[in-house]
Amino acid sequence: MRIPRILCAVAATAVLSSCSAAPVSDNAPTSEVPGYLAVADEAVTSGGTLDLQMTVDNGAATGLDPQLADVATSWQLMSLVYETLVTVGPDFSIEPGLAESWDNPSPTEYVFHLRKGVTFSNGRAMTADDVVGSFERLLAGQGVWKTQIGPVEKVSKVDDRTVSVTLSSPYQPFLASLANVPAAVLPIKEIEDGSVDITREMLGTGPFVVKSHRQDVSWQFTRRDGYWAQGKPSADTVNIAIAGQEQARMAALQNGSADLVMLGNVDAPELLNGVRGTAVGTQATTDFYYLMLNSNAPGGKFDDPRVRQAINIAMDRRAIADSALGGLGKPTGVTPAGLPGSCDPAQVPSAKAGLDRARQLLREAGAENLTFELAAYSTAPAPAVAQVIQQNLQRIGITVNIEQLDEGSWSGKVYGEVPATFDAALSWFAGYADAAMVGKWWNPEQAGFNVGFMEPNAELNTAIDKAIATPAGPERDTALQQLCDAVDTDAQMIPLVTRPALIGYRSDALSPTLYATEGYGNVLRGIADFRLLTK
Amino acid sequence: MRLFTWWLRRALSAVVTLFLVSILIFAASRLMPGGFAEVVLGPFATPEQKAEVAAKYGLDESIVVQYWLWLTTALTGDFGISMISGEPVTTEFGLRLPVTAQLTLFGVVAAILIGVPLGVLTAVRAGGRRGGAALGRLASGLGVSVPEFVLGSIVVFLFSRYALGLTVGGYVPFGEDPGGNLRSMLLPAAVLSVFVVAVTARTTRDAVLNVLVEPYITAAIARGESPGSIVVRHVLRNASIPVVTVLTTVTAYLLGGAVIIEYLFNLPGVGTYIVQAVGRRDYAVVQAGVLLAAVVFIVMNMLTDAAAGVLDPRFGSAAKGRKR
Amino acid sequence: MTGWRKADWLTRSGLVCLAVLVLVTVVGTVFGIGGDPDAMVGPRLAPPGGEFLLGTDELGRSMLPRLFEGIGTTLLLSTVAVLVTAVLATLLGVAAGYYGGWLGEVVLRLVEVLYSFPTIVLAILVAAVVGPGQTATMCSIVLITIPLMTRVVRAAAVTVSERDYVTSAVISGAGWPRILVRHLLPNLSGTIAVQGTYALSVGILVEGGLSFLGFGVQPPQSSLGALIQQGSTYLLTAPWLVIVPGIVLIVAVLAINVFGDGLRDGLEPREARSLV
Repeated sequence: MRIPRILCAVAATAVLSSCSAAPVSDNAPTSEVPGYLAVADEAVTSGGTLDLQMTVDNGAATGLDPQLADVATSWQLMSLVYETLVTVGPDFSIEPGLAESWDNPSPTEYVFHLRKGVTFSNGRAMTADDVVGSFERLLAGQGVWKTQIGPVEKVSKVDDRTVSVTLSSPYQPFLASLANVPAAVLPIKEIEDGSVDITREMLGTGPFVVKSHRQDVSWQFTRRDGYWAQGKPSADTVNIAIAGQEQARMAALQNGSADLVMLGNVDAPELLNGVRGTAVGTQATTDFYYLMLNSNAPGGKFDDPRVRQAINIAMDRRAIADSALGGLGKPTGVTPAGLPGSCDPAQVPSAKAGLDRARQLLREAGAENLTFELAAYSTAPAPAVAQVIQQNLQRIGITVNIEQLDEGSWSGKVYGEVPATFDAALSWFAGYADAAMVGKWWNPEQAGFNVGFMEPNAELNTAIDKAIATPAGPERDTALQQLCDAVDTDAQMIPLVTRPALIGYRSDALSPTLYATEGYGNVLRGIADFRLLTK
Repeated sequence: MRLFTWWLRRALSAVVTLFLVSILIFAASRLMPGGFAEVVLGPFATPEQKAEVAAKYGLDESIVVQYWLWLTTALTGDFGISMISGEPVTTEFGLRLPVTAQLTLFGVVAAILIGVPLGVLTAVRAGGRRGGAALGRLASGLGVSVPEFVLGSIVVFLFSRYALGLTVGGYVPFGEDPGGNLRSMLLPAAVLSVFVVAVTARTTRDAVLNVLVEPYITAAIARGESPGSIVVRHVLRNASIPVVTVLTTVTAYLLGGAVIIEYLFNLPGVGTYIVQAVGRRDYAVVQAGVLLAAVVFIVMNMLTDAAAGVLDPRFGSAAKGRKR
Repeated sequence: MTGWRKADWLTRSGLVCLAVLVLVTVVGTVFGIGGDPDAMVGPRLAPPGGEFLLGTDELGRSMLPRLFEGIGTTLLLSTVAVLVTAVLATLLGVAAGYYGGWLGEVVLRLVEVLYSFPTIVLAILVAAVVGPGQTATMCSIVLITIPLMTRVVRAAAVTVSERDYVTSAVISGAGWPRILVRHLLPNLSGTIAVQGTYALSVGILVEGGLSFLGFGVQPPQSSLGALIQQGSTYLLTAPWLVIVPGIVLIVAVLAINVFGDGLRDGLEPREARSLV
């Protein structure tokens, strides 16, 4: 076990210590209900206008087609309009969505019984044809989610309210993968007859409809009559303002012009401590930071696995979580920490080796005094994570030069060329809702985005395949630990720490439903239940 | 006639400048490393998708052809389509320009109402009490030395933390809610005005000091004219050219977008739009934005010259008679 | 020094402030006072006092050495950039003002083009093209300060070149290097120095603005702008993170500005006259 010796030694003697745990503050919401940060008070009358502020808008260039949406902000916005067959409940349980129940007669067969009374916002009733058509459209399309929904062989309509899906081989994350927006049920009839262009407008079964949108400025959603869930949604109008600057969002929360804001600063709970009527919830997400070491890097810097392993060993995940993320992140392996069955990051090979081993590996590889460039986003807390990494690696004699880049430069550098020409890069993934899902991206042939910098590893691919195919139980836990070990040894994409989501809200104006955990970056999962206290 | 040829020359040189700006901004936007496709389509995009986007926005043509197409369509008022929003960039600039224009207006009004009198006052008192001059210099010097990101951060913090009457953020267009608009614009305008007022005051002070040593002021004092009358009748008119120049420069500068203020107060102005577009390689927006700012700047400069010509008839000929 | 005695107290205090700032920074950096600026040695956001004289930042780094490094970075980058500006602007300004003709036209046109770019947008474009960091920051400062300085130098060069001694030098057959070195430069040096001080204060502000927007020097290197940017979200819980570098930045710019004013007043003496 590597602990941040330097940090804690000093912290022990200091008055203001935030080394060992998350800062404790009075305004952290506490919910009696397990699995929730807060549960909306149903006694409050519905109605009112909900004002939210988010950091970025959806990536609109891919249009509003949910099947092409590949970033969490898009999923979050689209989830106000689109719904999925199943959904993720508290603690990553799979709950009914547009399917009211399902049968799983064999490991490769799923039968979904569709909910009665579900209509699209144009009034037409959702049918089994929409479900089948949506599956077929997803499988035939270019969206990346078709990789995640697994080896779907056949989707067929049993009757108007029953759909059966056959997989070609067992796929444990199947239900979890259906719980995300790209797997939403689309209005197939309207898409086919051309009466709606879903890349430009949203037409779903969800609780809200879009009233207006100005890219990168604002969204306005209004409550939809005829939504299938009785008495929902509670709010009449949802205004979402896009505010890039943390200070602007903090200001909006403090002066009450926003009811709920997304925050990026890990110290936000403390910064808002004492502001009457505000609360800050910290959602434990499965999103995690990872370090990419380009095995095609110029000069062959990282083509020797020993060099990559040495770097992996020198990563002090606890220090990253404590210093850069204020104690709110958690060390993680490739199976995101917090998900059922996820491996223990302290048990992977690199965690058991010491710095001497790392130095020895570098010596054996002839890579002492290695210097490399680390490309990181300029949005907090990425630069902080990069700086802790830099300090970590200094311990084994590696010099890291951080390049803090804008979105265009970063993505161009990392994804733009095959083979890629960068040295190393820092980013984060949404960790999804099943422990084996995100691991699929460690197979470049399936993921695609990393073909430029990651060599396929047969052993690792076997571990991935085994983890996704094994049904829940002790056998799966073993398979997941093996997956973590394989990723750890491969060390081309090195999982680091989970990335918390901070949500500030006006406890005097809003009674929200917030989950304690989240896999698809969707803080607004409970938005249909939100109750407004003052408006 | 001489005036006409002078204006013709001026207009021609403006066109040449704009043409050079268009080349430079086009080149700069294509020199930026990294790609629009990765930003626009995300990491999972296939090469086919990338090619499709490139073809859609004409980015598969050669640079020269792209430039020519852009320039010729821009001349018809069509500045292209934003790759991020899929909308014509002129639509978004049309929505954002009022925000920036309003900030600019507040800044310039503050400069005229506060900066100019302050400059005159510190100048006419410059030789008076000992230390008075230094204090005036110090005050206006402080105004230009406090960066807007320091002052802005502090103002945002204070006004959002403590109920001080004005709100941070929450911009609404003037047409929708004039009261709310003013409440949201006052703070950013105030932060911005500190610099603008200080610059104007400094320039005014210098200009007035230069006028005060002229013989006709001495004559006026000798005639026994009152200080107020001297300021109004002689000083202001003769000191006005540099003051007008600094005011128009400030106007043009502000119309180019007060990026930091817009960021801090979450105002949807043109500055943040252009900066965001640079980060995302939204070429049409960057190109249109810079060209727009350049047009404003050049027109402002021409207006300054025109004003100078009106204020001082000698100026027009002086400007024409460039030596050697 | 006659200049020193002639200068008023404000100009002198500006110069003293600058000298002290530079001295403290050099001493602090050379002797490594406060330790390694990049090492994460303490608790996060510790208040000033005790082991960490100016407290620690959000990564537990001591602010004192970071402040030394920050002042050093900001001053050094701005100074180098302004020296480059001064050299280029002098060459361009003299070319345009003394030689004029098509050369002058070209220079004026280029200057006008640069002038009409919005400042921060220009700096961010440079950062995007060159890649953010020290080079981009210096390039931005040069590109932002060069138009005004070139114009002022040109105007001064026009005036100087009309003077009798230049005319007589030309008539007596002096070559251009001689005229440049003997007549033009000495008479332009005052203007260049005054403009240089103003450019320096602009440079510091540009560096700060760029860092504030995340396009400045690369972490973990600190600069005054980067320190203020990082600290600005902690105004409530750790105000020292902004206050100290903020004050230093304001004092530095103010000192440079008042010194510049004094310098100009000394070079263009103007009898102050009071109307009241």
